[in-house]
Amino acid sequence: MAYVLGIPLLMLLAIFQSALLGNFQFLEGRPDLILLAVIGWGLAGGSEEAMVWGLVGGIFLDMLSGVPIGSTSITLILIGTLVSIYEDRIWEANFLMPLGTTLAGSLLFHIMSLGVILLLGREVDWAYAFSRVILPSTFINLLLALPTVQALKAIRNRLYPPEVEI
Amino acid sequence: MRRLSPRVLIVTILLMIALSLLILNLSGFLQPVQNLVARPIITVQSWFALRFSALRDVLSSPRDMATLRGEVNRLEAENALLQQEIISLREQAAEADVLAALLNYARSQPQSRYLATNVIGRDVSPFIRSILIGGGSDAGISRGMPVVTSRGLIGRVEEVFATYSRVQLITDPEIAVNIKFQESRTEGILTAQLNGELIVDLIDLNTELSQGELVLTSGLGGKYPVDIPVGRILSIHHRDYDLFQQTTIQSSVEFDQLNIVLVITNFRPLIFEQPNP
Repeated sequence: MAYVLGIPLLMLLAIFQSALLGNFQFLEGRPDLILLAVIGWGLAGGSEEAMVWGLVGGIFLDMLSGVPIGSTSITLILIGTLVSIYEDRIWEANFLMPLGTTLAGSLLFHIMSLGVILLLGREVDWAYAFSRVILPSTFINLLLALPTVQALKAIRNRLYPPEVEI
Repeated sequence: MRRLSPRVLIVTILLMIALSLLILNLSGFLQPVQNLVARPIITVQSWFALRFSALRDVLSSPRDMATLRGEVNRLEAENALLQQEIISLREQAAEADVLAALLNYARSQPQSRYLATNVIGRDVSPFIRSILIGGGSDAGISRGMPVVTSRGLIGRVEEVFATYSRVQLITDPEIAVNIKFQESRTEGILTAQLNGELIVDLIDLNTELSQGELVLTSGLGGKYPVDIPVGRILSIHHRDYDLFQQTTIQSSVEFDQLNIVLVITNFRPLIFEQPNP
């Protein structure tokens, strides 16, 4: 069920990212919707599905970008794996966990994206990339992290109602 | 032997799939699949992009201003066309002077054929300055075709799929355009800095340039047609100890506000393949 919902959702998020979010920028940063979805679904309890979301979401993103298909998937699968380490351990007890995971995930996502850009033989201005793109994007992602996790948790609870002992 | 946990197994399988896709993509085998998968995505994206563009127009101006805005747009377009015509006439006059003196020969320039297409999105990577347009090989677009608006050059087609194409903007550092200055007639090479600023380099140190001077494509190198406006000189960096002078260019195009672009379809660019090491 998570895949039936997830694949069209990821496609829509990739479309929003390309068609709409270019117009809503803070400096040159913008929210990374698919990254947030992967982290959010992982923290909501579906870490293994989140890894698959990472693969599929990465493919959609790469289709709408100049980077080779598969490169963003690798990053998102690794982020899904990172999230799975924390699943069911600290998150329930610590509301700061989504923020910490989003912070680490955003930084990893953008640094690996820059790595791909470097591998493609393009020049990278690290200072500019950090100050104008990575930090503003991370800030926006942090703002959206808690609502995203809550929303995805609510959806997951509807799809897979938690078992209650009577 | 130690058994792998299911989670490690899943990660390994997913990473192998992603790596396989990456290899297939880099070797060009993924293009037919990408064309197929992209078709529904681009249909949805075009639908969203058009609605969003209309919504943005409505929201960004009061309702009673819509008519006036339309009129202003029409006049601006007309003005841009007239300016293009003036540029073209000036260029023709200058050319005619030179050619008539040398060969008594009047050059006839073939009219460019344009294909208007919508901008349906931007590159999702913030580190690549390119846009996606809603026309691809099905519409007759091919790699290397220059892309313009009524205000001037915006870039060239970098990747073509069946239903959409990716246009690399001139603000992307990977692109270089051979240009000339309209009044001083000198030439240079325009490149973008990593922050998107446009710089013209390799300008003869003895050339006198003036602020506001118009910059046009020179046609050298065969990648762009001649005489497409690129922008105007914003500032000049002239140091006597340098080999060349540089200028910063203000593009005449607002790259954040692109809705419709024109692809020049009858221009066949010269594309030089990188030699194998």
